[in-house]
Amino acid sequence: MIELTSTPIIILAILGGVGVALPVINIALKERGSMISYGIATLIALFAAIGYVLYQLALDHVAPAAIFSQDVLVDDAFGSLFAIAMLIVAIFTTVGSFNYMKNKANPSIYFSLILLSAIGMVLVAYATDLVMLFVAWELMSIPTYVLVGFLKKDPISNEAAIKYFLFGALASAIIIYGISLAYGITGSTNIGEVIQGFMVLDANMIPIGLLAVGMFIAGFGFKMGLVPFHMWLPDTYEGAPPTIATLLAAGTKKAGFAAALRVVVMGSVALSLDWTLALGIIAVMTMTVGNIAAVMQKNLARMLAYSSIGHAGYILIGLSIAPFSGIGLQGSLFHILNHAVMKGAAFIAVAGLVTALAVTHVEKLKGLARRMPITSLGLVISLLALAGVPPLSGFWSKLMLFGAAIDAGTVVWWGPWLAIAGVLNSALSLAYYGWIIRKMYFEGEKEKRIKEPKSIIAIMIFSIIFMVTIGVYPEPIIQFTEFATPAINAGLMP
Amino acid sequence: MSNELIDFVIVSVALLAIGIYGLAVKRNFIRMLFAVEIVINAANLNLVAFARFLPHSGGQTFALFSIAIAAAEVAVGLALIIVAYRMYKNIDVADFRSLKG
Repeated sequence: MIELTSTPIIILAILGGVGVALPVINIALKERGSMISYGIATLIALFAAIGYVLYQLALDHVAPAAIFSQDVLVDDAFGSLFAIAMLIVAIFTTVGSFNYMKNKANPSIYFSLILLSAIGMVLVAYATDLVMLFVAWELMSIPTYVLVGFLKKDPISNEAAIKYFLFGALASAIIIYGISLAYGITGSTNIGEVIQGFMVLDANMIPIGLLAVGMFIAGFGFKMGLVPFHMWLPDTYEGAPPTIATLLAAGTKKAGFAAALRVVVMGSVALSLDWTLALGIIAVMTMTVGNIAAVMQKNLARMLAYSSIGHAGYILIGLSIAPFSGIGLQGSLFHILNHAVMKGAAFIAVAGLVTALAVTHVEKLKGLARRMPITSLGLVISLLALAGVPPLSGFWSKLMLFGAAIDAGTVVWWGPWLAIAGVLNSALSLAYYGWIIRKMYFEGEKEKRIKEPKSIIAIMIFSIIFMVTIGVYPEPIIQFTEFATPAINAGLMP
Repeated sequence: MSNELIDFVIVSVALLAIGIYGLAVKRNFIRMLFAVEIVINAANLNLVAFARFLPHSGGQTFALFSIAIAAAEVAVGLALIIVAYRMYKNIDVADFRSLKG
């Protein structure tokens, strides 16, 4: 039995309690409650949750990356890392919404859905049973379908939601089919037992095992935005409210990686098949397609969406070389944490631009540095960090990923090629980030400074401090990711 | 009357194929929603059939969970269709293409 004071249960209680209470309070107040008060209640719940995660970590109540357990949830450092990343993203989304949701309908339901989706993301990271994983996956997905289409008078938002919904529903259907196959051939839904079942699989059942792992890759890949499952992603991120695009790009995508790490990587190790090369090819395709498409975009949100596809490729490098290099997975986890903050800050900056100036077109960003200096600075720092410029946080995680890929070259011939593709793609990404930076800082006439929303400023300052601090002094986070990284081979023993 | 596992699995695979075909070919949102539901039900049939033939009844529980979740998903999907219909007077997904590039 999992203890009632373990991290996932308490997070579930805090966020779920507030998330369910908000709409009820709204009805009790006859829909007259103010948006700010709902937002602050949400924020308090999220801070309490993240505080509890950190408290449990500080007191050493958390097991080091356990990956498997007999229960449906496990309170381990792997889940805690994802929980921290996702709760930070949820806080960004909530704070950004203070400004964005001004004078919009149904704030209580909006914040409640953010909380419910945050629970889903956190539980995906802690789940060690396929039933729990699937339920958490849907708890994460269904609120985001609604949130993407939240502006119901706006045809673009609705179109984005419909595209997202169709692909998301198909992804869930594929995942559950994969789970049913895995259950059928191993007789259990516990991830650890399923993986052990895979290891002793009858020879003529191997193709079905492969089919199940393939379905998991496809299903999780839809959320992660891997090429060839990425078609919905730019449309959805562009059409969704920009605050919700933050939640999708920085949050649900990471949950996809959490699920993939627990199921796919372990599953491919257990089936001892050459899934690694397939994942490596997908990684190179994903980053190349994402970055090349991003160069051609004129819309800032769409460009960031393609760049987020590219980053899924970088993270996948670590997953694909996990069996061959000790620091591969660690680099992935580090990059996941970094990417949550970097991409979150960039999308929140876009949300600030949309509410203050109603522009997302890159040409219209001329002279932005004089009009909104702090938002511009935050956007620039996060773009540079995304490109991996030292001394910012993105540099260290990319260094770790590419270093691990070169390291793996002693075992597999294609390891260094992943690093080469990654470095070339980073250089390419610097080109279009540089274009945005040039528009903001070196073009345009003298323009008056306009008032920047305080909530956006707060997020920008936090993320600048985060990215620069980690860039200058990455040691503690690297140690934490090491603690949170599962040992691939040891993890397979009961 | 045969009562073999393989019969159930064949039906389930057929349902999966029908669902994927429907998603790939149809352009009406409601038909596509039905296609997704068929895939989910194929998985449910699989789960229940396996639970019947395995010494482990977890599959039936899981099928119940999945039915409930699918219902929630359909509710959201239908809500999106209604909103779309109010705006476009049409639910053909081929017409939804203002976002591209």
